[in-house]
Amino acid sequence: MQDKDLAIDICGITKRYEEHVAVRELSLQVPRGSVYGLLGPNGAGKTTTIRMLLDIIKPDAGSIAIFGRPSTESGLLNRVGYLPEERGLYRKMQVRRVLRFLAELKGVKPADADKRIDEWLQRFGLTTKDKDWGNSKIDELSRGMQQKVQFIATLLHDPELVILDEPFSGLDPINAQALKDTVVELKRRGRTVIFSTHVMENAERMCDAVCIIARGEKVLDGQVTDVRSSSGRRNVALALMGDNGSRDVRENGVGHVLRDSRLVRHFDDNNRYFEIELAPGADEQELLHKLIEAGARIERFELVLPSLHQIFIERVGASGVETGMSGHG
Amino acid sequence: MDKVWVVAKREYLERVRSRWFVVMTLLVPVLITATFLVPAWVAAKAASGSAARNIVILDATSTGLGQRVADILVRDSSAAAASRRAAAAPEPGPQVRVVSQAQLPAAEDSATRQVMKPNSIVGYLVLDDSTLSARRIRYAGRNASSIVDMDRVRSAVRQAFTSVMLQREGVKPETISLISSLSLNMSQTRIDERGKGGNAQAAIFLGIGIGVLLLMSIVFHGQNVLRGVLEEKSTRVAEVVISSVKPEMLLAGKVAGAGAVGLTQQVLWIAISAYLLTNFAPIVLRAAGAPVGGGGGSSAALGISFGGLTIGLFVAVILYFLLGFVFYASLLAAAGSMVNSEQDAQQAAMPVMYLLIGSWLFVNSVIVNPTGTTAKVLSWLPFSSPIIMPMRMGLSPVPWLSVAGSLAVCALGCVLAVWLAARIYRVGMLMYGKKPSLAEVAKWVRYA
Repeated sequence: MQDKDLAIDICGITKRYEEHVAVRELSLQVPRGSVYGLLGPNGAGKTTTIRMLLDIIKPDAGSIAIFGRPSTESGLLNRVGYLPEERGLYRKMQVRRVLRFLAELKGVKPADADKRIDEWLQRFGLTTKDKDWGNSKIDELSRGMQQKVQFIATLLHDPELVILDEPFSGLDPINAQALKDTVVELKRRGRTVIFSTHVMENAERMCDAVCIIARGEKVLDGQVTDVRSSSGRRNVALALMGDNGSRDVRENGVGHVLRDSRLVRHFDDNNRYFEIELAPGADEQELLHKLIEAGARIERFELVLPSLHQIFIERVGASGVETGMSGHG
Repeated sequence: MDKVWVVAKREYLERVRSRWFVVMTLLVPVLITATFLVPAWVAAKAASGSAARNIVILDATSTGLGQRVADILVRDSSAAAASRRAAAAPEPGPQVRVVSQAQLPAAEDSATRQVMKPNSIVGYLVLDDSTLSARRIRYAGRNASSIVDMDRVRSAVRQAFTSVMLQREGVKPETISLISSLSLNMSQTRIDERGKGGNAQAAIFLGIGIGVLLLMSIVFHGQNVLRGVLEEKSTRVAEVVISSVKPEMLLAGKVAGAGAVGLTQQVLWIAISAYLLTNFAPIVLRAAGAPVGGGGGSSAALGISFGGLTIGLFVAVILYFLLGFVFYASLLAAAGSMVNSEQDAQQAAMPVMYLLIGSWLFVNSVIVNPTGTTAKVLSWLPFSSPIIMPMRMGLSPVPWLSVAGSLAVCALGCVLAVWLAARIYRVGMLMYGKKPSLAEVAKWVRYA
């Protein structure tokens, strides 16, 4: 892959703090125009990595290039939008003034900024016929509205690269949907989006590629489909009809089938359905037969790739979560 | 640099728009005007002596003492009366009632009833045999607790008494009237290396005024910077801002913006105070009955002269304010970036404030001896020179070479303070959790 095709090229960065190493020789590449997930438990080094990416803190070793240029180059960060994990705005300032200030800091001309602010406020429903929240102080806005203003601030200068640190934390479903739609639209317009999360479902839904890090080190990275198929395993998603299908499983014949180690290596009861990992060499059709013979009334029987969640649990494990290091991810 | 400008612009506009700024900008000139005018008004009111004139003198001495006292009381306030060019007729002086010793109790009774009526005489003075023999006088009236009026009555009686005694000793009446109308007018002139010049009291006034103004501005606007930094940190807006602008630039913009606010406020303070003083002083003083001359008479009446305020001193005050502000505001910003709460911030700011308040403790000895060693040393140290040097310049002339040198040292101190502050700020702004120890802060400075 050519350098210019990469939005981000991180090469062997390390960040040491007094008592621990936050990030250790981390390398990763993010292609232009992709949605990239940075996954890891709390305290894995996600936020530290993102801060180094934005030149907020300096790596002790290694190099970072954004669009093929060193990240310290002046003016480069004007092309990057950033939504930090800990959010906040000037409380006593009017919404429009905050947004204009943050846009101007990214090199947007005031007149341009005003036009874009109006567009975005309308789009996120912050200006309506009855009320223009743009003239209110941040303090007077509800939490949901403040989050919207914060998104707008991140995207106002039309950045080519958007970095979102735990963007879904604390969002209500409506704002989460708005954020997801925005990310999809950015991708459609050829922008690069990188976001960190420890919620694997979000990453699985939205990301083209992911990197899983734990204890400051890379565990694996690649295209989501590659990551999921790389284990060489197939899983079965099984849902039974009836309310208490899953509750009876330990006593009835279905449970007996699932505990057959020739067929099933491991199963995970998700309440609504089972995620079943087939034993090596097992035939899924045989499993289906056995289940029907055992009297199961099947609602769903689907061959699936292992979920990111399962891979994550398997590869990172409980030991990946270091105690006492939360907050500074 | 564009971004420094954007940060400074926000800082400036948000502060100038705040209600506090408007209130302080209007309130302080009113207070300054009041501190000038109230004492002047009291003095003018006393000088006009209208209350002491409007009395009855019951004279039972049969020596004409009462008439003499009345004459003196009238003459005392004639200067004030003369100034009221509009006043048609001179006000009547005290009424003198010559009575015999036996009639005195009845006369006192009627005078008491008269005083009790509103819009009448304010009191009465009794001169009788005991006045001549034991030097005792009695006064009763509504203004009996007025120190100024009582002083006036007492000194009038003393003067009258003196002239009566001189007359008895056979001194010529012309000589007596000359002695009793003798008045002293003392002018105080300062002498310095360049010779005579200026009014000594005005210089002290100017020096202290400049010192207080600089101290207040630096403390007030420096604290504003500290609070602003703390707000950015505690609302977590800092991280968004720092992802767009380097922390050093953010610090520079904040200090520049807040400094510009301080400068704006000072200029407005001076302009509004000057306006109020020139426009209201004559009105207030005329109302109090003080002599008021032409247009320029007001400052003379107030006993102040701004002759000591030269362009050079004005420029020096501005320069020292800017340097002193940059020095203290950047250190206070660093203090604000280290902590997470208002209480911790005040504690972190303490060492910085000690430098400032510590310098202020020496102000007295600088006023007493503006050319002494203490004053000289303090006007070279970068943390005290922004306050002490302009004060010294107001009190007594300082060679321009010393001023330039002290400004240079102060600028150097600023560079050092900004460098130190930027390093602390860079790390501190993203550091949440417990308050750092001094050793930790030292480490930030080394590794930032």
